[in-house]
Amino acid sequence: MQGGQALPPVEAQQSDWQTQGSQWLSGVKDAAMSTLATGGGGGKKDEDEVYSPFLGLEKSQVLQECRVFNDPQLNPRLCAQLITKILYMLGQGEQLSRSESTSIFFGVTKLFQAKDDHLRRMIYLVMKELNPSAEEVIIVTATLTKDMNSKQDLYRANAIRVLCKIISMTDPTMLGQIERHLKQALVDKNAFVAASALVSSIQLIRVNAEVVKRWVNEVQTALQSDNQTVQYHALALLHMIKKQDRLAVNKIVSSLTRTPIKSPLAQCLLIRFVKKVMDEEGGGGERDRTLLEFLEGTLRHKSDVVIYEGANALCGLPNVSQRELSPAITVLQLFLCSNKPTLRFAAARTLNRIAMLHPAAVTPCNMDLEGLINDANRSIATLAITTLLKTGSEAGVERLMKQITTFMSEIADEFKVIVVDAIRSMCIKFPQKHRLLMTFLSNMLREEGGFTYKKAIVDTILELIAQIPDAKEAGLMNLCEFIEDCEFTPLSTAILAVLGTEGPATAEPSSYIRFIYNRVVLENATVRASAVSALAKFGVQLPQLRSSIVTLLLRCLHDNDDEVRDRATLYCSMLQKMEVSPDDVFGIGPAQLCLQPLPVPLLALEHAVAQYLAQPSDEPFSVFNVTMSAEMLAAERKAAHEQSAARRKAENHDGGSRHQMMPGTPGKAAAKAVDASVDYLAKIPQFAHVGPRFSSSKPAALTDPETEYSCACIKHVYARHTILAFELRNTIDDQYLQDVRVALDLAGTAGLEVEVELPCPALPFGVAGQAFILLRRTEAAPTGSLGCTLRFRVREAHAETHEPLDSSAGYEDEYALEELELAAADYMKRLMVADFRAGWEGMGNGGEVIETFSLTYSGLPEAIRAIVDFLGMEVCEGTGTPQDGARTHTVLLSGAFLSGAQVLAIVNLRTESAKQVGMRLSVRSADKEISQFVASCVA
Amino acid sequence: MGLFSGLFGKLGVSKKKVKVLCVGLDNSGKSSIINQLKPKKTAATELVPTVGFAVEEFAKNNLNFTVFDMSGQGRYRSLWEHYYKDVTGIMFVVDSTDKIRMCVAKDELDTLLAHADVRNVPILFLANKMDLPLAMTPVDCVAVMELDRITDKPWHISATNAMTGDGLDEALTWLADQMSRSIRY
Repeated sequence: MQGGQALPPVEAQQSDWQTQGSQWLSGVKDAAMSTLATGGGGGKKDEDEVYSPFLGLEKSQVLQECRVFNDPQLNPRLCAQLITKILYMLGQGEQLSRSESTSIFFGVTKLFQAKDDHLRRMIYLVMKELNPSAEEVIIVTATLTKDMNSKQDLYRANAIRVLCKIISMTDPTMLGQIERHLKQALVDKNAFVAASALVSSIQLIRVNAEVVKRWVNEVQTALQSDNQTVQYHALALLHMIKKQDRLAVNKIVSSLTRTPIKSPLAQCLLIRFVKKVMDEEGGGGERDRTLLEFLEGTLRHKSDVVIYEGANALCGLPNVSQRELSPAITVLQLFLCSNKPTLRFAAARTLNRIAMLHPAAVTPCNMDLEGLINDANRSIATLAITTLLKTGSEAGVERLMKQITTFMSEIADEFKVIVVDAIRSMCIKFPQKHRLLMTFLSNMLREEGGFTYKKAIVDTILELIAQIPDAKEAGLMNLCEFIEDCEFTPLSTAILAVLGTEGPATAEPSSYIRFIYNRVVLENATVRASAVSALAKFGVQLPQLRSSIVTLLLRCLHDNDDEVRDRATLYCSMLQKMEVSPDDVFGIGPAQLCLQPLPVPLLALEHAVAQYLAQPSDEPFSVFNVTMSAEMLAAERKAAHEQSAARRKAENHDGGSRHQMMPGTPGKAAAKAVDASVDYLAKIPQFAHVGPRFSSSKPAALTDPETEYSCACIKHVYARHTILAFELRNTIDDQYLQDVRVALDLAGTAGLEVEVELPCPALPFGVAGQAFILLRRTEAAPTGSLGCTLRFRVREAHAETHEPLDSSAGYEDEYALEELELAAADYMKRLMVADFRAGWEGMGNGGEVIETFSLTYSGLPEAIRAIVDFLGMEVCEGTGTPQDGARTHTVLLSGAFLSGAQVLAIVNLRTESAKQVGMRLSVRSADKEISQFVASCVA
Repeated sequence: MGLFSGLFGKLGVSKKKVKVLCVGLDNSGKSSIINQLKPKKTAATELVPTVGFAVEEFAKNNLNFTVFDMSGQGRYRSLWEHYYKDVTGIMFVVDSTDKIRMCVAKDELDTLLAHADVRNVPILFLANKMDLPLAMTPVDCVAVMELDRITDKPWHISATNAMTGDGLDEALTWLADQMSRSIRY
């Protein structure tokens, strides 16, 4: 009987009852079907095996047949057959109406009178599938409880599953009534019963964790079981129970790594938990030796699943070193030559993932990967080629691209996106190859494909345009051709916006006008509107084209769509006015109005304009007079927060895969969160005059993570100003803080003065708040550390609602924060350079400064990380990771200084002793003073 | 045993199966009556209120009874109707000491009688707990529940005592007799 129990794969643990049930079902169904085919048809066995006896089943007919359930002279075999039909029908996606499923459900309950084992099993199955309502389902609870205590293992196990499902779906509080039985079942001698109870508990912990947590001892006992399935489920449940408690998880993991587990699946699960524990410990500190040894030990396991899981875990470790990787790579290399496609696929995928971070580690597999290029399975071939693209040398690129072209049309969109991703990273690695790759991308653009695929290509081209100046014109031309025949509105609008900003700066801007104007003639309203905007951007920036663009825009004035017409009218009048006198419109220059986001939120602007129209005055309207009311500010703040939270969430979502693939952009999530808050900054009227933002730092914590008040600071640097944005959080639930501000001690740092201070008006418990300080820099780039103190008024708050008590007037208080560092990196922007050598030579040694230092770091990777962070410059040509075991290494860095001047640096590093790294820093820029400043800041 | 039952089945002399529904208000003694009817070996010594329903089997008067012992609690009464279909007989148990709720029992009975699936089904009324001092007689029950209005199906009422089994035999004999007639051979 237990033969029908399909063992759910590891993922199924996480999935819900439905999948669990249906997976189990499919196994049983097959078994049932084969019995029917052999028992019922006799000779059918010899016929085509694919033929299903239930093909073309009619729902109404089955419902009709359900009458046999009511027959006093019950025929168990007929009933079982009918239930199989119902299950088949449900499995095919047939929907039953409420009354239909009710009548079947009650019909089935009547079958409990039969003593037939086979029928009883079908009853259990169909009960789980029918999803009866809460009022109906109570009718069977007593019967099921009785079965749970039956002497038959089959009844016990299945009744547990059905009852637990019913409880988790209808009334979780009922669990208390059967708790005693379940606890017994967890340690039942019969593996089937114990496994059923464990799996049911895993489902139940989601709805009633309290009760399930009380069963820890029983689960621990089950973990010692001889049966593999029981062990596997027990481990999963144990982890779910202890999930919240990190220490407890660590304890389980470390105790289990010492005593071997029999079940391979349980071993896989354990590897995942170990990985999680190691992830949480973070890459900074020392790794737990025993855990690492455990992972390496799994590579010698006799089961392939465990070996792969172990290798995969090793490859995914944070900041994994080449030495730690090598055993895993060796194992994966063996898998690459396996005759099982699954193993080949898995190994290629893992190698593909780590290829970006550790190209050197994957290189030994290149030979085997080459062999996979012609694999019959196209998915494996794709992964092999993309991995080779990431690890390969510049010379092999052409050959690989040719290989990939041959079967590009045969693979699914999903894998095409992987290819595009690989091309993107390769292009950044070898900027010289952009011409070849761009051609390839444009060919891909012309082929058929879904939205995600096309979007991936367009995103890649846009990124290349931004990163590699040489590729700009060719990329823009390709995009122009693409929009000629693009069926995706969002892509068209995105491309038109980029054309508007990038096009005017190219050598021959007029060539783009035709493409853009074609959109105005041929496309839908949304695209037409963005095309009009793009045209206007050309007109604003290029006086020589202005009159022709006005002519084009005039033709748009009779468009059917309001938005298009409105835009055309606005831009027309603006451009015509510019012809006569380049005066400001509403206080902002036309260029600023077109090319930059509005300095105030639309809502506030609308409000102000309405007010102005109601009470017109002699003074012309100006955006700088727009003020924001408190509610608007709060709403904006909330929107900005939600946006950043959503982005962070999205980033975490694909963080696992993406993050590792893109080593050039560490902390992308953090950077995006910063961007969201910057959008918000731009909307605060007090900060409207600071101009465009130069750069933003990562958030720096000014408190320890678990203190009463937490505070983190983001530094936004502008041409002459620095805005300090403090993210504040109050973690005391009976306090309500008001007027929270950060007091700065500027005495130690010359060249800074506070211009505007915006305190956070109220900071209730658990809600994030923000305070701002606008500093004006009187010197070019002041550095140093600023003393910070948090000052606020404390009022007592209601412990539940966190609203302030009226009785409490409050008192002033302050809280010491850590010092805020203003470093040279804050004035530097990471900027990729296409050809470092050419740039370096072209700069000449006029503005060169060379310094040597001796630094206290224990290894090259650590030193490189620190230096890159310190200088705030971008690593070029993939020189961020040293060769394994190398004693010397050269890092190439590039960036843009505050004034916009390009700064390049060559860092030569040499390990001098275990704790000493010698460094020779050469900095070049147009201005020797800047070079001097950059070089001196390391010391 | 298996051989004999198979043999009897072929010869057509094996006991006929009948499906009986046992309903009535909560605490009227349905489960006790069925417990009393069951073979002494399988009878339970202690009874708790039924949740949902229970299926019991016993043989009586040359018939194999399959009884659906329904729970009488308020929330389950609406579910009775799902079991009316294709029953051969209905046992309606009344607590003859519970005068106050007699009208509730009457309401439930009226609903039962009005149901389309209950046609030509013999109904056996059991005025239970007859041993208690304040018990109503069967005649009083007939009057209160207006049983005399039932004309379209055979019915019978007996006073019973589920604890001792008094009156059950006679009542079951009537039911068995009625059902044997209605079963199509």
